[in-house]
Amino acid sequence: MLIKTRETNNVVIFDIEGEIRRSESMQTTLHNQVKSHLDRGKRNILLNLEGVEFIDSFGVGEILASYISTQNLGGKLKLCRISKKLFLIFQITMLTKVLDIQEDCEGALESFDKP
Amino acid sequence: MANGRLERFLNRFADVRGHEAHAALYLSGFFFLITFTFYIIKPVKESFLIGFASAASWPYADLATALLIGFVVALNTRLLNRLPRRTYISATILFFIGSLLVFWYAFDVHQKSLVSTPVADSSGGIFFVWLPLAIFKAGTIPVFVFSFWTDVFIALSVTQFWIAVNDVFDPYQGKRLVGLFVTGGLFGGIAGSSLAALMVVAKLISAGNLLLLCPVLLVFALMMVNLVYAEQKQLRENAGAEVDPVQAGARVGYWESFLAVKRSRYLLLLAATLASAMVAGSLINFQFKFVVKSVFADTNDRTFFVSVFFLGILVLSTVFHLATTGRILRSFGIRWALLVAPALLLVGSLSVFLVSLGGLLAWVLIVRGGDKLFDNTISQSVRELLYIPVPADIKYKAKIFIDMFVNKFATGLGAGLYWGLYRLSGFDYKGDVAILREIGVLVIVFLVLWIGLTRAAYAEYPAVLKKDLRRITIDGDKAVQQHVDVDLTRDVFDALQSRERSTTLYLMNVFDLVRKNNLTPELKEVLGIKQDEFRARSMDRLFDAGGEVFFHGLDEAIADKDLASEIDLIFLLPSYQEIMVKRLAEDAGSASEVDRMDAAKLIGLMVRSPDSLRFLERFLQDPSPEVVAYALRSAAVHQRVEHVPLILRQLGNPLTVLEAQGTLTNYGPGIEDQLRSVLGDQSEALEVRRAIPVVLARFGTQRSADILLDELTRRRGDLEQEVIDALYKLRADRPEVRFREKQVRPELLYLIEKSYEICLSASGVAAGGGAAVLTSEAKAALDLNVRRIFDLMTLLHPPEDIVKAYQNILKGTRRSGDYSLSLLDDLLDRELKALLFPLIEDLPFEERVLRMKKAVRLK
Repeated sequence: MLIKTRETNNVVIFDIEGEIRRSESMQTTLHNQVKSHLDRGKRNILLNLEGVEFIDSFGVGEILASYISTQNLGGKLKLCRISKKLFLIFQITMLTKVLDIQEDCEGALESFDKP
Repeated sequence: MANGRLERFLNRFADVRGHEAHAALYLSGFFFLITFTFYIIKPVKESFLIGFASAASWPYADLATALLIGFVVALNTRLLNRLPRRTYISATILFFIGSLLVFWYAFDVHQKSLVSTPVADSSGGIFFVWLPLAIFKAGTIPVFVFSFWTDVFIALSVTQFWIAVNDVFDPYQGKRLVGLFVTGGLFGGIAGSSLAALMVVAKLISAGNLLLLCPVLLVFALMMVNLVYAEQKQLRENAGAEVDPVQAGARVGYWESFLAVKRSRYLLLLAATLASAMVAGSLINFQFKFVVKSVFADTNDRTFFVSVFFLGILVLSTVFHLATTGRILRSFGIRWALLVAPALLLVGSLSVFLVSLGGLLAWVLIVRGGDKLFDNTISQSVRELLYIPVPADIKYKAKIFIDMFVNKFATGLGAGLYWGLYRLSGFDYKGDVAILREIGVLVIVFLVLWIGLTRAAYAEYPAVLKKDLRRITIDGDKAVQQHVDVDLTRDVFDALQSRERSTTLYLMNVFDLVRKNNLTPELKEVLGIKQDEFRARSMDRLFDAGGEVFFHGLDEAIADKDLASEIDLIFLLPSYQEIMVKRLAEDAGSASEVDRMDAAKLIGLMVRSPDSLRFLERFLQDPSPEVVAYALRSAAVHQRVEHVPLILRQLGNPLTVLEAQGTLTNYGPGIEDQLRSVLGDQSEALEVRRAIPVVLARFGTQRSADILLDELTRRRGDLEQEVIDALYKLRADRPEVRFREKQVRPELLYLIEKSYEICLSASGVAAGGGAAVLTSEAKAALDLNVRRIFDLMTLLHPPEDIVKAYQNILKGTRRSGDYSLSLLDDLLDRELKALLFPLIEDLPFEERVLRMKKAVRLK
């Protein structure tokens, strides 16, 4: 798994490539990276999952932990460009009820400004 | 005057901010002129009433007001419905100017009427001369009309003033500026009564001609109110707002304003509180009149005494207000400030039973003076503060009814009670002391009622305040809990992942899932279809795709209860145990990660045996985090104490920490002491220690809370965030758990102190020539500290209130932010408020620093 970060309009974007799974993860996990941005005062996080082929239970745990940390600090965490396969599983497991998943990242970026 | 200078000047009287200085000046000027006018008119009215009416007919003036004020209210509301606010207030002032001239003319004509009088000379001859005599052709009727008009004037003017304040300022601004307005009113009263007294004593002008000064003052009042609304219009236009929402929606009738009060228990209590205070005040006023009438037989002496009395009261009120009102409110809050007036008046009224005839004048001066003093100062301030939580549109309607109808009706009720007592008890045949004591009994009844109603209204105050405060966001973990079964989701993803790695692991996962959960058909489909067949665009198309399933009929088979029972029986077979232990031994030594995962998972399904637990111990130390994750879940099933140290070690690994926390949570509160010793042991890995507070929070026991709080009080910064998060979660989930204030409070103050250090060090940079703003890092640290302060405050106060206040201060509207500050003002003690408010109020950085320095000095 490879994570690159960039910032646009006060939103920190995580471009993730590969598989978010335990066996593919480094010691600095997605959640840790999100937390370090939260500690620096960033409150808007966008996970671009365009390059993500698969997520295991560890990956789901990382995304949920990132969501909880962001939400608890009054911030917003959104996902964009998730594959249809993953979206289907997210729907069935009700994750779509909690996570704000947008089809494209541009729309997701704009939606951070809306209440 | 430039905004800065004006602000500095006004700050002597109240906490005025730059952008509101002009409006605050105009409105306090408006109130000054209104009370100036009123206190010129009032001695004239009193002088005429005492001079031309008997003690038995005094109540008629108040009764007439009580009976007729309703019609004035109806007319007032009708005009409100038809005119914009600015036009309405201007027109009312013009009406008062015109009617004052009419009264002056009427009184002037009466006093200078020439009467043809027969005169006999020394020789006995009779001739007629024209003598100028002060007579009233219509008896006392013009006096009663004027008395009623005076009541209408003050009721309408004061109501309009507060409506204008509500139009211009939000509740929190109003609360800060109320001191300035009350000061303006008091100075106006002093100016008016001083002028009246001087004129009477120096005989410079007749009482009737005093009325000619009033229209001039009201013209200035008209200018002030128009300046305020013109400025507001300009500000709205600059901001792009079309119409002020309060004014746009302010089309109400008299009936509607009555209904607004009737519908709200809180407003009914406020109305009843005011009514009981007014009845008591009215009765005290009759006691006062009785004593004054018996002591001062001469009309001029009496008129001068009344003028000086009002002047003295106003001077004392000003001193009391400037020196005490704000201090009482800041130190004791509204709760106790509400009781000051009725409690002290009760003491004073009870003392009537101890006073002799010679001490009556002094006694009545103290009681009547006290009543007026409190009414002008603390009672007025507190009454307005009690309206703060009422939504602006309802407040506007309710104030019309309460200030203009209830107020006068209560005064009339007091007059009616006096009238009844006068006749029933035969005051004509009783001594002054006996009369005052009989009235005093009624006064005491209404003062006790006032105290009771005040307490009842205050009990509702926080609830009304909170009604308009909503949570903006819910906590992340609560949102997840509400919608997602996290364990099920994890198992589903594991099952899907395992399908591509091992058939055995996949089937074990599916079996485990089905046994623990009632799976939806969609989930069964997803689990039963090959991964490479997730190709459809939608659910319908997916399930109609006719793809090849992993095992035909799997979903029916795994849902079969007989199958589940058979598998359980197999697990119990001794021969199975024997075979599987051998298999576990092989898998444990296998180089294949998948074999070890299979084995680690299987142990969780098997019946516990020493051998299986031994292998579990080995898998908990496996180099593969995938194997460890399965082993941790199996450990959660068997819950062996000897495994706890191994599980704790996995807290330090970011790849297994979530599973390890889940497993420890499954163990339950029995392992609290083990967790405590690791938490407090600084030789343990920091990551391990940081992961423990979450587990303790999930236990949610008093013991867990005590462990966390003990850790917090050690002030080891490395765990602060995790411990406070855990305490907050524990408090939110388990309201029955208690936290010792003597432990929490010092930590709160410590966090506030740290926040102050951040700001003050930045201001030190500014003093050295740097920028007077926080760097982004310092701001992030400050925000985090403030968040922690609020999280800790939930341990001592209702968590929902604190969270709402925090969220609305941070992200709410200006109004909801102000409500939040009012709520905190009500909840927190004096010291905490004084230290916390400079941190959370919406202030420019430099002003924030100044307030912090002041708060530190005061502390």
